[in-house]
Amino acid sequence: MGSEVTDETNGWQEAWEAAENGAVAVMDCHEEIPCNPCQEACPNGAIRVEPHVCALPRLDPGACNGCGRCVALCPGMAVFLLDRRERNGFARVTVPYEMGGKPVEGDVVQVVDGEGKALTEGKILKVRAWGGEAPTLLLTVRVPEEVALKVRGVRYRLIELDEGLEVENAPPLLDYPICRCEDVSLQNVRETLRSGVRSLLTLRRATRVGLGYCQGLFCQSSLREELAAAAGREAWKMGSFRVRPPVRPVKLGRLGGENA
Amino acid sequence: MKLRRESHPLVVVGAGPAGLCAALEAAEAGLPPLVLDEGSRGGGQLVKQIHRFFGSREHGAGKRGFQIAEELVSGCLGKGVEIRLGHKVLGFFPDGRLLVDGDEGVFVLQPGATILATGAVEKSFPFPGWTLPGVMGAGAAQTLVNQHRVMPGKRALMVGAGNVGLIVAYQLLQAGVEVAGVIEVNRAVGGYAVHAGRLRREGVPILLRHRLRAAEGKKEVESVLVEDMERGTWKRFSVDTLCLAVGMAPQAELAAMRGCRLVYLSELGGFLPWHDRAMRTDRPGVYVAGDLAGVEEASVAMDEGRLAGLAAALDAGVLDPGEAAERMEEVMDRLELLRGGPFGEPRRKAKERLCSMTGLVTGGAGRKAGIRGRTGRR
Repeated sequence: MGSEVTDETNGWQEAWEAAENGAVAVMDCHEEIPCNPCQEACPNGAIRVEPHVCALPRLDPGACNGCGRCVALCPGMAVFLLDRRERNGFARVTVPYEMGGKPVEGDVVQVVDGEGKALTEGKILKVRAWGGEAPTLLLTVRVPEEVALKVRGVRYRLIELDEGLEVENAPPLLDYPICRCEDVSLQNVRETLRSGVRSLLTLRRATRVGLGYCQGLFCQSSLREELAAAAGREAWKMGSFRVRPPVRPVKLGRLGGENA
Repeated sequence: MKLRRESHPLVVVGAGPAGLCAALEAAEAGLPPLVLDEGSRGGGQLVKQIHRFFGSREHGAGKRGFQIAEELVSGCLGKGVEIRLGHKVLGFFPDGRLLVDGDEGVFVLQPGATILATGAVEKSFPFPGWTLPGVMGAGAAQTLVNQHRVMPGKRALMVGAGNVGLIVAYQLLQAGVEVAGVIEVNRAVGGYAVHAGRLRREGVPILLRHRLRAAEGKKEVESVLVEDMERGTWKRFSVDTLCLAVGMAPQAELAAMRGCRLVYLSELGGFLPWHDRAMRTDRPGVYVAGDLAGVEEASVAMDEGRLAGLAAALDAGVLDPGEAAERMEEVMDRLELLRGGPFGEPRRKAKERLCSMTGLVTGGAGRKAGIRGRTGRR
């Protein structure tokens, strides 16, 4: 996004090679968002988010000891560990895990890619926890080397994608309330607007919109849009309800000094 | 019957990240404020955030939201800040007095200065079936699962693929709610790719160019009708919960009642009180911070709170001007960087336009600066 530090692979090639000698971090972070806990997490200074907090993280695989702290602390859960020490066609991948199910070593899980599709089935080799009083679990699984860089998570069961059921004919839109507190329907408001009403205040007097419990909190912007459409103007120019105390509901007795 | 009266040199309305950081900063400068919040726990929206936060060390990045809330609250208490929870501010009058409803009854509070950090409210819109039980804001669903540990339903559909929609959809999964999908009218995900990634890897589809058309059901939501905008076809999802994450608007009622000038900036959520770079409004002794001053991230809210606290302490004469300027500059530089990426850029520009106006600006000058404004009171 317009920065010289943008690197689509985030140093994956170097990480892939370094992983032959042990676990190394792989970062799947490609957007310039204000975030740098990975830099803070690394005890070896292997991750730099420079020159500012929105820069992409840069990993020096040579300085990474594979401790996994960045994996646990990344708010985007976008850091993984890759370990290719076995050198027999398999790699070990460590992913962050924040779902339920209390994973234990030996559990057989679905190893999934970024779209949630199963890459392979695998056994959890190791469960670690890192990250203070409410830690993140780090799960290590063994997968065929060719899918190792695609691994993004593990799941205990796969959910079939819900594409929704096609509906033959679009059903007619019924009338519905626009002000839910006073139960004023959209058609009622539109009819009132057709009669020439052009201000929020008059609309309120004519239909009671905005006079209920929420005092216009939920309906005001929709009413403004209806008014704007009728008047052919921009919505923000249609004004607002005047704010009067109390802005939160209160029993009249309390205003009179009662305390119950 | 006369209402009880109380006064305090500095009052902060709202104990969210902005209000608590304002309180911390003011207390450190020697002006420990009274903080009022209607909630039962200090921390505002942070108390129900179970995910780790973005930002940097100054914002508690890498920690979970509720942990940041606990740290801010204990930090405040340690510095002599009084936090009164369960206190609703009912009114903020043009003469500067507040009407407060708390466990001591309804009382009138005369502040020396006031920092408003009232946050934002979830936007909503009407559609067929929107009054059925099971339709709720994403924030409401998040409060249910994370704060009250109540499942809003068994199976949910999320509307809106901004950060709130993506994060809450993930947290519904964590709570054991099935998520049928996230629908989004735009051609691209609005939130961070990493949030979308976390959700997709759990098998939750993010359906772009899909529009909500209706919630259906006899007594509660049983299904939701969605239009595929590309193909012009309709789909029906069987769900019992429909969550709306379609943006937030600053809660500017108290500021408006006080007579603060409001301006309209769509990039920042709609109408918000005009303010300068140090978070001063056009009413003397009234400061704003956080989502009220434009809907942004919690990290931004914290730094804006710090600025408001510093400005209030400076204006009250308890902080040395040189020291105040130095601290403010440090925080302003950090804010500039937080709004640095492509996500922050539109907000940074909107804030720049807002702050480029000085003091009370007439409509014409405001229009030239690209500001759409009106005064809060009529």
